[in-house]
Amino acid sequence: MKQSVKRTRTLAAILTAAMLWALCACGGDAGQNPAEGAPSSVSEQENGAGQTSSVTVTDMMGREVTLEEPATRVVALTASDCEILYAIGAGDTLVGRGTYCDYPAQVSEVPVVDSGSETNLEQILALEPQVLLMSTMSQTEEQAKQLEEAGVHVVISDAQDIEGVYTAIEMIGTLMGKQEEAAGVIQSMKDTFSQIQEKSSGDGSQTIYFEVSPLEWGLWAAGNNTFMNEIAEMMGLKNCFGDLDGWASVSEEQVLERNPDYILTITTYSGEGPLPEEEIMARPGWENVTAVKNGAILNLQNNELSRPAPRLAEGAKMLYDFVYGEE
Amino acid sequence: MKSPKQRFGVLEYLIFTALIAVIFCLCVCVGSVNIPLGKTLSVFQNALSSLVRQYLFHQPALSPAETVSSILLTVRFPRVLCVALTGASLSLAGAAMQGLLKNPLADGSTLGVSSGAALGAVTAIAFGIAFPSLPFAGTMVMAVLFAFLSLLIILGLALKLDRTLSSHTVILIGVIYSMFVSSLMSIVITFAADRVQQITFWTMGSLQGKGYKDALILFAALLLFGGMILLHARELNAFAVGEENARHVGVNVRRVKLVLLIAVSGLIGVCVSIGGTIGFVGLITPHLLRMLTGPDHRRLLPACLFGGAGFLMLSDLAARILLRPRELNIGIITSLAGAVMFVLIFYRTRRGRSC
Amino acid sequence: MLKVTDLSVRYGQKQVLDHLSFSVEEGQWLMVTGPNGAGKSTLINAVTRGVEYQGEIFLEGEDIRQKKPAELARCMAVLTQSHEIAYDFTVEEIVSLGRYAYSTGFLSRPGSQDQEAVREALALTGLYDQRNRSVLTLSGGELQRTFLAQVFAQNPKLLLLDEPTNHLDLIYQKQIFGLITDWLKKPGRAVISVIHDLSLAKAYGSLALLLHHGAAAAYGKTQDVLTPSYLNPVYGMDVARWMKEMLSQWEDKSV
Repeated sequence: MKQSVKRTRTLAAILTAAMLWALCACGGDAGQNPAEGAPSSVSEQENGAGQTSSVTVTDMMGREVTLEEPATRVVALTASDCEILYAIGAGDTLVGRGTYCDYPAQVSEVPVVDSGSETNLEQILALEPQVLLMSTMSQTEEQAKQLEEAGVHVVISDAQDIEGVYTAIEMIGTLMGKQEEAAGVIQSMKDTFSQIQEKSSGDGSQTIYFEVSPLEWGLWAAGNNTFMNEIAEMMGLKNCFGDLDGWASVSEEQVLERNPDYILTITTYSGEGPLPEEEIMARPGWENVTAVKNGAILNLQNNELSRPAPRLAEGAKMLYDFVYGEE
Repeated sequence: MKSPKQRFGVLEYLIFTALIAVIFCLCVCVGSVNIPLGKTLSVFQNALSSLVRQYLFHQPALSPAETVSSILLTVRFPRVLCVALTGASLSLAGAAMQGLLKNPLADGSTLGVSSGAALGAVTAIAFGIAFPSLPFAGTMVMAVLFAFLSLLIILGLALKLDRTLSSHTVILIGVIYSMFVSSLMSIVITFAADRVQQITFWTMGSLQGKGYKDALILFAALLLFGGMILLHARELNAFAVGEENARHVGVNVRRVKLVLLIAVSGLIGVCVSIGGTIGFVGLITPHLLRMLTGPDHRRLLPACLFGGAGFLMLSDLAARILLRPRELNIGIITSLAGAVMFVLIFYRTRRGRSC
Repeated sequence: MLKVTDLSVRYGQKQVLDHLSFSVEEGQWLMVTGPNGAGKSTLINAVTRGVEYQGEIFLEGEDIRQKKPAELARCMAVLTQSHEIAYDFTVEEIVSLGRYAYSTGFLSRPGSQDQEAVREALALTGLYDQRNRSVLTLSGGELQRTFLAQVFAQNPKLLLLDEPTNHLDLIYQKQIFGLITDWLKKPGRAVISVIHDLSLAKAYGSLALLLHHGAAAAYGKTQDVLTPSYLNPVYGMDVARWMKEMLSQWEDKSV
């Protein structure tokens, strides 16, 4: 009897340990969130009593946030929010940034706080921000709640398509009291996109393959409901993995069979070995792929087309120039 | 009762070879992209005659001109080859560990040896350890080295805590060691945040994009290290009865143990550096095959070569076609099957002991 | 046959065996006895090179340190008290392992001599009909006989026994001691056994070594060593009186 108790206990201990291990192993990959599609309204109210104006925004999760005045101390955990801040000329208000915020270059002077699954509230509070900008991707609701209780306004961005990016820019513009600049950024994006759309002669017969992870680490392609897919459609190109949703692992054989006319890879060059486009050219068995035959491979390695930020327009222009030639 | 044979006879070899050949053909003919059987056959026929022309008549080789032949000859065929060799290697390594430690639950994945090897490979990537003349020798050498060190650490700890090396102590230490390694892995990742994607690859195995060169390396490793294991089948029998008994019947315990540990680390290290950690292959196949061949390693080990190859080829086939055009990591398939099997074996050995 | 001079073994600070000297000749059965923790099993481990030792152990005039494991195994075999089996080997497979030392080359196959030795050992221990049974299904006595057969197949000159019948029913105890007695009758053989049952030691042994805290309290012919003058101080009681008392239980006419 005693022995069987001991046995059960050992078993329990082993199973617990195994579960923990499994948990650790699973913790690595965070999935992409499905589109929330929550449209946000932005409003600003003049306070008639004096010069100060209070600011109210509805963030992209539908939460209403009111500030007594436009924010002057901001921590942005998400790279795209960082980029938006600089694009609307509010980069100087940034007092902290998330780990992956790397654009523009001067952002590197801003103190880093852990983000993603390692988000550390104490680090954030120590910077005394008025506003914390974050996305729905990896921060939790509890963390938002705790920050709110500590007196930090949490504003959540969640752009799933280009329209969503406009909303995010507008929202952040309002928050910072930079509505005009924000409107300017949006307009210039819209101009670029409509130019591309007008000039593109594509009729959907030519295909493009968006490679988001190289063969060496397992092929992943951008499918439907991605910025890349949206931009391909804009140019009259057909995403050859448009039948998949979001980013998806794909079989090498499938790429060969779908035989894309163009390949866009977003792999970052590690600094040694062949360049990403050279690496694709050299893959055995790929020599019959049209894009490889024609050398029609573009590498955009600075997240131009993967972040919901103003640079999407630049990325789209680069892809346009690559496909249709510069003017 | 028929007296069981001591060796893997000619008949068994024939049956297993035929079975493996069938699975191999199946895995080459079926894939993410559907290619009609007739087309597949003609592609291989052409490839063969081109090879003959090249080597017998010294005519220049024709590079495959069609997508279908690229898919078959440069993508699918070498990949299936790599999968088969990896399966055979991991299964052999598992069988050797189970014999050596007299523990049916021992395997590269349950003991944390694979994780250790992956840590070695990751360290090599993160800190740019490489040998200029050999393209991916850096990760390979580090993986083999770390696999060997992991084995020493796990066995050393187990010996300190429980001299009899009871199965559950060893497994428990293996699990704890795996957790330890995964936190070390996180630390390495913080030093090389720009290579997270490459690093996470090592934690979930895949043989996508592997070519003939990888197959050749795997084959060489199997020949060398697998040969070392196959030549020690009788010693493994003695260890499987008990290390003390092995010493008493005249096994040079220290030397044989060292040789086997090196061979096991070599196999696991090379496999991990090429395909990442593919769990539980070494646990499942020896266990199933033991029911067929009995525990005598002179029969079990050859059976594992075939069985491991077959099992992994089928797992890879599942990974390729279950969600096509998407592709699963092969490690996901084997871990799913392996976790269930682990519980079954655990349950059986427990029950066996209490009655 | 075996000559041990000044044998000492230390585990860390603990002196487990303390300057032992003894020898065993052909046809003799040495009983190593003493209370728990006296160092009996360590003695077997030292002689089989399972632990590091100081002093000298010579087998047939050769230092055992100079011998390869297989050479040593051809000269001496060990039967331990219990066996935990993890895999379902057959009886014959276990017994065949006894022939390991005779064909250590990588590619050598067991020859007819090996098969004959295994067959003989199986027959001798009455296991021939059971040779294809899984050892997981055997009783404790059958399992011990299987390992005895392995030891016989090994065809050693010196047989070492470490409490071989400790957990066995009396019938198996009798069986196994009978088998070993018969084995010893052939020329060129000797037995050393570690045993704590003093009656068995007296009944079967020709020599005895009485250990106390790792040192020899007495060594010589069984009848000279297993006497009250040596036993009583070592065990801290009147051993002979206790044995007689126990025995008297059986002298009752009602049995």
